[in-house]
Amino acid sequence: MNSSDSDKSLSRALADWRVAPARDPQFRPGVWARIASIQTNPTWGGYLRAHVALLTGAVALAIVAGAWTGRGQARQRVEVERTALATAYVRALDARVMRGP
Amino acid sequence: MKNLLLTLGLVLAACALSFGVFYALNDEPALRRAAREGDALAWLRAEFHLNDAQFAAIKKLHADYSVVCAEHCAAIMAAQQRPAPPAEIAVLEARCMESMEDHFRRVAALMPADEGKRYLATVLPRVADYDHALAPTVQVHP
Repeated sequence: MNSSDSDKSLSRALADWRVAPARDPQFRPGVWARIASIQTNPTWGGYLRAHVALLTGAVALAIVAGAWTGRGQARQRVEVERTALATAYVRALDARVMRGP
Repeated sequence: MKNLLLTLGLVLAACALSFGVFYALNDEPALRRAAREGDALAWLRAEFHLNDAQFAAIKKLHADYSVVCAEHCAAIMAAQQRPAPPAEIAVLEARCMESMEDHFRRVAALMPADEGKRYLATVLPRVADYDHALAPTVQVHP
């Protein structure tokens, strides 16, 4: 069988092909119901895309707030420990501290 | 509602991540380790960026000073036990303070110039602020 015969046979098959689906009276309402459902309960990705500006602002603010407090907390802790160590260092060499009972 | 909660979770996660990163960047693990172990010399080394040679020289200076410190300590304790007049104890304490300040200046001289200045600015006010209240809690003698 050459290519031309094959094409004719396929064309005939396609010309004879008929689709006769059973009528579904709920098809159209079902489609609209699904569209409405997506509009009222979007996927998380859709929700994020719909609020991208607000989300960007909130994440940026959260990053700045986290950075600010993280830096502050670490520095405060370091300062407290530094002060305690410096004081203890001097006192460890201070004969005035080493008093008898 | 679920999407809002997920989004809030995302924002909080970004905040927590940022907190953790900046906390770690501003932390000083060497200082924290020194504090945990009560190791003043480790603190000195980390705080004033001492190299091995400077640290060894300062460690030796501290070891030498511990003898002088013990002599001052013995003299003050003996005076207290007698008991000596307050003026005599005050003289001994002033001598001790002077000796400490000399020692700290010798230590500072072994450090890089800027670190030495910072070291003196850290320790000298603490010598002057002595309040007779607290006992030493770290090991400084090697």
